[in-house]
Amino acid sequence: MTEIPRERIRNFCIVAHIDHGKSTLADRLLEVTGTVSARDHRAQFLDNMDLERERGITIKAQTARMKYRAPDGDSYVLNLIDTPGHVDFSYEVSRALAACEGAVLVVDASQGIEAQTLANAYLAIDAGLEIIPVLNKIDLPSAEPDRVAREIEEVVGLDASDVLLVSAKEGKGVAELLERIVERVPAPEGDRDAPTRALVFDSWFDPYVGAVLLVRVVDGRLSVRDRVRFMATGSEREVQQLSVIEPYPCPVASLAAGEVGIVVAGLKTLAEVRIGDTITSRDGPAAEALVGFREAKPMVFAGLYPVEAEAYRDLKAALEKLKLNDSSFAYEPETSVALGFGFRCGFLGFLHGEIIQERLEREYDLDLITTAPTVRYRVVPKSGEPFEIESPAALPEPGDLDHIEEPMISATIHVPSEYVGAVLALCQDRRGTQQDMAVHGSRVQIRYRLPLGEVVTDFHDRIKSATRGYGSYDYEFMGYERAPLVKLDILVNGDMVDALSLIVHRDKAHSQGTELARKLKEFIPRQMYEVAIQAAIGTKVIARTTVKALRKNVTAKCYGGDITRKRKLLEKQKRGKRRMKKVGNVEIPQEAFLAALKLGDE
Amino acid sequence: MQGEPTVGLYVHVPFCERICPYCDFAVVAARRLGPEREDRYIDALLAELERRAPDFAGHSLASLYLGGGTPSLLRPESVRRVIEEAQRHFAPLAPVEITLEVNPSSVERERLPAFRAAGVGRLSIGIQSFDDTRLQRLGRAHKAEEGRRTLAAARAAGFDNVSLDLLFAGPAPQAEPGGEASEVLLDRDLDATLEFGPEHVSAYELTLEAGTPFAAAAQAGVLRLPDEETAAALIERVEERLTAAGYERYEISSYARPGFRAVHNQRYWLRAPVLGIGMGAWSSEPPSPGAPHGVRRANSRQLETYLERVESGRSPAGEPEPLTPAIARGEAVFLSLRRREGLAAAGFAAEFGAPPRHFFAPAIEALTEAHLLTESTDGDLTLTARGRMLSDSVFAHFV
Repeated sequence: MTEIPRERIRNFCIVAHIDHGKSTLADRLLEVTGTVSARDHRAQFLDNMDLERERGITIKAQTARMKYRAPDGDSYVLNLIDTPGHVDFSYEVSRALAACEGAVLVVDASQGIEAQTLANAYLAIDAGLEIIPVLNKIDLPSAEPDRVAREIEEVVGLDASDVLLVSAKEGKGVAELLERIVERVPAPEGDRDAPTRALVFDSWFDPYVGAVLLVRVVDGRLSVRDRVRFMATGSEREVQQLSVIEPYPCPVASLAAGEVGIVVAGLKTLAEVRIGDTITSRDGPAAEALVGFREAKPMVFAGLYPVEAEAYRDLKAALEKLKLNDSSFAYEPETSVALGFGFRCGFLGFLHGEIIQERLEREYDLDLITTAPTVRYRVVPKSGEPFEIESPAALPEPGDLDHIEEPMISATIHVPSEYVGAVLALCQDRRGTQQDMAVHGSRVQIRYRLPLGEVVTDFHDRIKSATRGYGSYDYEFMGYERAPLVKLDILVNGDMVDALSLIVHRDKAHSQGTELARKLKEFIPRQMYEVAIQAAIGTKVIARTTVKALRKNVTAKCYGGDITRKRKLLEKQKRGKRRMKKVGNVEIPQEAFLAALKLGDE
Repeated sequence: MQGEPTVGLYVHVPFCERICPYCDFAVVAARRLGPEREDRYIDALLAELERRAPDFAGHSLASLYLGGGTPSLLRPESVRRVIEEAQRHFAPLAPVEITLEVNPSSVERERLPAFRAAGVGRLSIGIQSFDDTRLQRLGRAHKAEEGRRTLAAARAAGFDNVSLDLLFAGPAPQAEPGGEASEVLLDRDLDATLEFGPEHVSAYELTLEAGTPFAAAAQAGVLRLPDEETAAALIERVEERLTAAGYERYEISSYARPGFRAVHNQRYWLRAPVLGIGMGAWSSEPPSPGAPHGVRRANSRQLETYLERVESGRSPAGEPEPLTPAIARGEAVFLSLRRREGLAAAGFAAEFGAPPRHFFAPAIEALTEAHLLTESTDGDLTLTARGRMLSDSVFAHFV
């Protein structure tokens, strides 16, 4: 097989709001290029597990290679690259974008630009991609192409006269789009004679071959049986399989600079894979790895405890399994006075933590109590070496402390200009310091230095709600900074509940303590006894609320047929109690341990 | 159970002229119950009785309860047919308590002497309240005055065992301008009750049952019920006033003058066999070698399904629910504890092989320590006053 010349390759992604027709357009591109027929299309193929097995590799991402013959007779290879989508995974998105030279921005011709599209479009612009704006669904009677095209010009800053009109459903404008991609998206750069460098931008687990890597070859080439080195992890492997996705995996002997494909290299688990890693050849390696690699390190920590102590082993086994498929997640055993035996887990971000927790509950059928997320603090004691803590409970007594340092980030926030005020107010409230602000047309880029602890839980949601969804943000870790932080403890009927402790800024301690006590009162149901909830810093109680004793819990009628039903209601009541943790004589429901997340929700 | 085995017969009559917005019983709206429809239903009841009676062979009849629905919508001859057939199938254990639930309306009032002649010995009258506004708010069809007249007519017909239903803690009236406090309304209902002086009072706190219009209205915020504190105070007020007047609170919601406890109702709390016939009726079949703690069985709640099954000679009952030892133990505890006498350790041990403490020691200790439960030296268990108020919290430890 002759090698495809670099200048005949185009690598691009599609940026779109969820139902603006990204999949339909992708399918249509595959059809028009003859990659698949309308009948035999990808979704159907994916349903066919036997075929999949026969081919040997499962395909996760909506990535595909198309052969395109331009009207002038020249042939091209177009690689459509899929991108994932949330702030915790913005690094993964950035790597996928780094594998492209262009992006097709799809906007629904009647709906106009949606927040998510804009956020992703900003990322693509920042990544230096050539943007091709497309108005889709122009066949709909409600389509307003002129209005939406103007909107694209105003909000994204692209020339309205440049916008392509497409109906993916009817196939209208698709040929023009293909031609536009060839015309506008730059051919990949890179030196095929230089030492090999390939960017790992996605990966997934296949039960038959282990880790499957999606790569973009940047320099040189990868061939089957090459001895390669992963520059970030240092591991060395042999390339066992190379494939391109058409959209079935189709084995190839080699991939040259500019090409995109699948690599199977004997990596058994995803834990051995780093997104953003550079593959080079073992003999004659590149001097430098591709720029932009970031070790995906846990930034957010929370305790995960089984509701019932007996489930500890099951939780441990489930965490071990999850870890195999997620290198960015970490855990170690932890003991809480209130919650017993559990694990302190580290996540990339809050959402990542929620996903892990949900998988544990759903796929492994575990009932879990999660503690409020925290970040990793640096503790400088009066005597001895500084050390890091990932749990408020691990903070030494105030008397033994010289000071505490908190992790800082630099957040880059993109917003349409009308929302700047709201975003600035939010950042100030989160103890942020403005670094700079740049206006690009109607879009504003704001950079703030913020304590990570102030953004881990709900900052993303707050940005979204302050900007009606149009804002997006990404952050970079900036090291540690000394801050007047204190440990806020919660006492329930006099017993300290370690799992409810928080590390907070001294100036906010009083208001947060008061609010936390009040929130807990909402979460803790009335019980046989009155329950006193106190918030304290050291020995000083700063807030106090009371949950009054349950006064009445009685079924008025209980005769014949009702007996089964009444018994079931009692059983339900009992199950509800079982899902609560008993601290002293007080039953605390699971949700209460996350009460800290609800602070400021009014 | 000691002595010869007995059965209680429950006969469900699902028809109601209108359906109360808080009711979740198996009922069918029948503005006027025509004789054809009535006869078809009675025929089905008797056919079912014929079919089921062998399951209770050798049991004598201790009680017969016509409940609903509105069984007083039946013609007295229908009631007579049911009573006669029941006594034909089961030898009556003299004297059999025969109760009819009565709705306070004019038609039914006129029939009271005939019901008595048909063999009814006890009436359970759905008074609910003696206040027109309250009745209207509860969605009841009758007026307070009709209630009073029905009570008087019951006495005039010679009924000397009358029970009266009170429904308190209904929609909070104080939420409205000029509305009176729930406590004031309850006191007035209790005054009227005591003035009449029934032998038995069932005093229920209004409960929101899922799927009823009241539950939906409460969910929507349209309906407000008294808060927990008020409701508790009302329960205490009922107990205080009725016990002061010589009634015994022999079950959480049941009050009786000496010698007038409801024989039939007590069977449920004592887990004694009950044969339930009619649409949606439940039966508790006696223990057998295959089901040492008995079997519970429910009839279809759909009228047509019930009728068609019975008429075609099939069973109208759904899947039987055999009571496992664990379920039966839980039920034994929570049903017995509803009664003033509570749970007798010896009887429990006779059925389950060991006294309650053997199965429930941690719960018993925690609950006695919390002053919700009392344990006698023999291991008998009773609820304390606070335990009665928090009985579901107590019961949840045993199921």
